[in-house]
Amino acid sequence: MLIQMKKATLYALKEDRDSILLALQRDGNVMLIPSGDEAALPGAESVITEAEKTNGAIKFMDMHVGKRSFLASRTPVAYKHFLQDTPEAVDLAEQVAVLEEKIGSLRNEALTMRAQADALKPWQGLDIPLEKLAPTTFTNYFAGYLPELEKDEFLEEISSLTAETIVLEEAPEGRAIVVFAHKIASAEVKHFLKAHDFTDVVFPKRVGLAKAIAVDLTEAAKMKESLADNLEDEGIKIASRKEELHLYYDQLVAKQDRMALSGEETQKTFFIQGWVRADKTEMVKKAIGDTTSAFDLNFTEPEEGEIPPTVMENGKLSRPYEFVTELYSRPKIGSLDPNFMMAPFHFIFFGMMLSDAGYGLILTILLYLVLKLFNPRDSAGKLITVIFFGGISTVLWGILFGGWFGLEWHPLLFAPMKEPLKMLALCFGLGALHLVTGMCMKMYLLIKRGQVWSAIFDELSWLVMFAGLFFMVLLPGEVGKYIALVGAGTIILTGGRANKNILTKFLGGLLSLYNISGYVSDLLSYSRLFALGLATGVIAMVINTIAQMLWESGTVGIVVAIFVLIGGHIFNILINVLGSFVHTSRLQYIEFFSKFYEAGGKAFVPLAIRTKYVDVTK
Amino acid sequence: MLTLGTALAFAGAAIAASFAGVGSAIGVGIAGQAGSGVISEDPDKFGNVLVLQALPGTQGIYGLLIAFIIVLNIGVIDGNIKDLTTYQGMALLFASLPIAIGGLMSGIYQGKVAAASIYLCAKRPEETGKGIILTAMVETYAVLALLISFIMVNGVKL
Repeated sequence: MLIQMKKATLYALKEDRDSILLALQRDGNVMLIPSGDEAALPGAESVITEAEKTNGAIKFMDMHVGKRSFLASRTPVAYKHFLQDTPEAVDLAEQVAVLEEKIGSLRNEALTMRAQADALKPWQGLDIPLEKLAPTTFTNYFAGYLPELEKDEFLEEISSLTAETIVLEEAPEGRAIVVFAHKIASAEVKHFLKAHDFTDVVFPKRVGLAKAIAVDLTEAAKMKESLADNLEDEGIKIASRKEELHLYYDQLVAKQDRMALSGEETQKTFFIQGWVRADKTEMVKKAIGDTTSAFDLNFTEPEEGEIPPTVMENGKLSRPYEFVTELYSRPKIGSLDPNFMMAPFHFIFFGMMLSDAGYGLILTILLYLVLKLFNPRDSAGKLITVIFFGGISTVLWGILFGGWFGLEWHPLLFAPMKEPLKMLALCFGLGALHLVTGMCMKMYLLIKRGQVWSAIFDELSWLVMFAGLFFMVLLPGEVGKYIALVGAGTIILTGGRANKNILTKFLGGLLSLYNISGYVSDLLSYSRLFALGLATGVIAMVINTIAQMLWESGTVGIVVAIFVLIGGHIFNILINVLGSFVHTSRLQYIEFFSKFYEAGGKAFVPLAIRTKYVDVTK
Repeated sequence: MLTLGTALAFAGAAIAASFAGVGSAIGVGIAGQAGSGVISEDPDKFGNVLVLQALPGTQGIYGLLIAFIIVLNIGVIDGNIKDLTTYQGMALLFASLPIAIGGLMSGIYQGKVAAASIYLCAKRPEETGKGIILTAMVETYAVLALLISFIMVNGVKL
């Protein structure tokens, strides 16, 4: 069901602000509303920077000692301890940041040096020290690269000039050459060089032969690299203190959340507003009352035009299915929380699609262990619980259909592969139940809003017609036909009531009867329950057959067969769990929700302690 | 000596497995290209991207499934290949067409939607679930094709 929300307005002294915000964050029941300019509290900027730095430090450590796994359990930290400053962690974050920067710059320098050494490679044959390459009283020099194809022609052309050319090795840029020209020929040489796409080279500012410089540079680069390597080792040592940074990061994020909104303020007082669940107002009052007595707190109904966030509350069994609903969209405030009706169908359909008792058992046991050992929270926890429930449902359907790892064993109901028509009938039957439930929910919503006639004309009339069609098939005699006609008549007479003209009213009614095609296609969509179950069963059968063929081929075959069996069935479980979840959810979104669901609610994100690495205990 | 009917049944199995497989291969390929681009920016999205890339892969499995049932029914697996009449063989060949054509086309288009959803996941990772649902919408038609192919194959009494 959807929870009523109230708007809290708080006036208090600025000197109490920190303690009040702390209390609210610990309580975790108020979602602050941004007011006016949405400015953060002074100092928030530096907290964000520090948090980013710490995050960078954690990433650096992750690189050195490996990441924590997605399901890793969190370290419990007492709330009192969580509030304490951790100066060591501040230092540590700084230390890591400095270390990372040092390593980065060392590696960069080494890279530059290696690049320079590489660039000198074609010049290694030059027996003139680089610093001596300079114009003299009578000569000019040109050093650079000439495209290989132009080389011969160029040499030919300048052979008559007063110039000497040293041709060196070839580089990606072209042939390395040095031309010495007498000043009288300099201009001409320059002209020829230009005509042949010559590019000048820039030598590093160093003294000595190119060959020696390249060796020096490489040595220096190696030095820098080994320095960086040493620092990396230091990083590995430091990374053992990662836990400290985890706590520090979570503390910073909590602080950042507290400082995110400043509200309005005067010289001495401040004022903030927030959304609170109507049943949690006393808790909020108590949380603030425990810190100070100088405050004024009011709870009011949402005003016209204000949209409070949507909070769903469900029993233990249907709560995980909120994940499925949220994946679509939250319900609009004032509409229906679909979870309690959607959950049983999701449960049933998931199991039908996977429909193998063996797979169901594996899934159930594995996910039970995951839930117990790692205690995943929030959406990950909800998703895993949904699939865990799905696993139980899979076991039940597997027993009913007699599917065990692709083998048939005493079906309680019938084997779908052998009796596809019975199976299709079952799918459509469950589908019809699903659709009718959706229509009933719409009727409930309409009646709750006082639109009783809409409920009768738009929903009940269809239900009557469907009931009639159903009876026509099942009951002898004409009863069904008349019931169906009553339903259809109501639809034709009332479907166009929104139109003004009597003729368009009638036509509108006839047209709305055409909606039956929509219902038919909705119903046919449930055939996927069978098809996906078929996919699981037949792929399992393929795996078993291949394994059996291998098994009969000798000792090696038996070993391979075991691998095929294990690997194949794991693959089949993975691909079909994905398929079952996606298609079950689709049946909810497209077929079920389209009947009554009103989406578009906002998320309720209260000011609370949201940790990534540690678990804050009371 | 194989009969023409048996050969036609082989053709049906071959068409089902290969056409639907090609559809999936193209679809998974398109999605994979988009995926590597996204992963190059943010390797942490690998999990989400992989799920999206895997979605167009089911058509190939459906095709294999129909091919397998045909092959199983005509006795290739246990080594006693049955002699089918020409009409039986043709019926099996026709029965394989829905999943062959449906799988081929839906695989390609599902791959395109998957690629678009991978970009969605790059920009707004929290909405990946919606991308998965959009991608699965295309698969509906492969599922329907699979179903009708199965019913038809099942209906051919040998």
